[in-house]
Amino acid sequence: MSEKLYAWLLRLYPAHFREDYGEEALRLFRDRARDERGFFPRFRLWLDLFFDFTISLPREYFHVPAPRVAPLVPRRVYGFPTLFVLEDASPRPSALAIGGLLSLFTLTTCWASLYGVHGREIASASRFAGVPNDYQSSHSEPRSTAPSAAAPDASHATTRPGALDSPQRKRIVDSAIANLKEHYFDRDAAQKMADALAMHEKRGDYDTVADPAAFAALVTQHIREVSPDRHLSFDYFQEPLPPQPTEQAAQVSPQYREAMKQQNCTFEKVELLSHNIGYLKLNSFPDPEVCRVAAMAAMTYVNHADAVIFDLRDNRGGSPEMVQLFGAYLFDHPEYWYNPRENTTEQSWTRSPVPGSELADKPVFVLTSARTASGAEQFSYDLKMLKRATLVGETTAGAAHSGTFHRLDDHFGIGIPEVKAINPYSSDDWAEVGVEPDVKVSAPSALDVALKLARARTTKK
Amino acid sequence: MPKRTLDPLPSAAFQILLALVGEDLHGYAIMRQVAEQTGNRIRLGPGTLYSSIRSLLENGLIEELDSQEDTGSGDERRRYYRLSSAGRKLARAEAQRLAEVLRVARAKKILRGRYV
Repeated sequence: MSEKLYAWLLRLYPAHFREDYGEEALRLFRDRARDERGFFPRFRLWLDLFFDFTISLPREYFHVPAPRVAPLVPRRVYGFPTLFVLEDASPRPSALAIGGLLSLFTLTTCWASLYGVHGREIASASRFAGVPNDYQSSHSEPRSTAPSAAAPDASHATTRPGALDSPQRKRIVDSAIANLKEHYFDRDAAQKMADALAMHEKRGDYDTVADPAAFAALVTQHIREVSPDRHLSFDYFQEPLPPQPTEQAAQVSPQYREAMKQQNCTFEKVELLSHNIGYLKLNSFPDPEVCRVAAMAAMTYVNHADAVIFDLRDNRGGSPEMVQLFGAYLFDHPEYWYNPRENTTEQSWTRSPVPGSELADKPVFVLTSARTASGAEQFSYDLKMLKRATLVGETTAGAAHSGTFHRLDDHFGIGIPEVKAINPYSSDDWAEVGVEPDVKVSAPSALDVALKLARARTTKK
Repeated sequence: MPKRTLDPLPSAAFQILLALVGEDLHGYAIMRQVAEQTGNRIRLGPGTLYSSIRSLLENGLIEELDSQEDTGSGDERRRYYRLSSAGRKLARAEAQRLAEVLRVARAKKILRGRYV
């Protein structure tokens, strides 16, 4: 009984003391209780314990235990990183609180900058087709038409929507309807989509959807129910959209020119590998107005190769003209070059043959990854459909973005195809589904696989 | 790392050092030895005893031995402590300091009786 009481009282000591000596203290009590029987000795025992508590309790609470790992410190192995524990006392609660808050803040900031800004920027930038003749690549084209992080519009910063209210939803839906009717290439389908949206809006189907992303998904679903056009997109952007670009914005900006100059037009590698295999790592298809010469120089460099590998694993797209410019080198006659955003015109054929090009009959390999997007997918898709290249790697991102972007408000936009391009190969292109490679391997191993294939092909000849 | 200072040496710590002169003891034996050498005047409670033992360990004045079978009470394993050379030196210095105090006290004749 008294031992239990003492064991309970021992809990008053701090944890470090109990861990180190709790057992011993209890044993000492047991020993004394065993040896000191009778009323007076037992009374003296408890009196001792009382004084013991009053003296040692405060002392233990002020005591910071010495590091138990101290003897480990000299044990150091040279050439290996070593860790020393300098402090093994528990941190103070205030330190923990400050540390916790700091970590939370850092995590939130990182998350926001990665997804809140960057992720949405990629989506919005690549969808933003203010200039009809231009794919917007997300990371290499700091153009003023795209809502880039570099040029945020401060006046929009305060208008971030949380939940949508009824008038807001109505305004957005009405604006989408007006844009569809005005711009969609198929008037009948546009009318059907408009009617469907108006009906859902009137019936109150959007009344319960306060979350903007869910709202965008529902509107998209309603549009698709009437028209299965995958190039039509209704999107929510967490970051405020810039004002609708003006005609001037279509000009190539000096910043873009400078960036391309510094990045060698995003042509990361132009090399001749062993077995005379040309290798071009193109990380975007930049505007020919700035990079035409660089592109021609790159193709000239590999002109006498026995096979060519285009590495588009980090290519997020760019200018369709540039895509076609590269394609032109690979044919000895003009080929129909499918572009989902363009009506068929005389521009839709490649300018083949390119004078002096030796590559028209050489094997071509295109390396793809799940990041390969937009214009890079067009290059892959068209060469695959024309049976002109072997695609090696992963299924591509599935970003066709053939619609022209229309801003509905600060956070909503609709991409509307204004033309119906003729796809000679199939009714569907790579929109949302991506381009399937001919040889499916993981992106990192794609180059090795393509090199083997290229060597096999060239030595056979 | 703020260790508890043993300067001046607390009375309990000094008594423990003295108790360990000549033999290695476990906690309860130290407590009994201290009680014995002080005429039952100082009976160290568990809190004071182990808190002092830890300070002495941290300052390298005593050492903990690998736990041994307790010869007295069967199968229980106990932690035994031994005086280190630094502890012996400090105990001697403390004793000399007290002897000096005693010499002064004697000179001042504040002590009565013949036995001191």
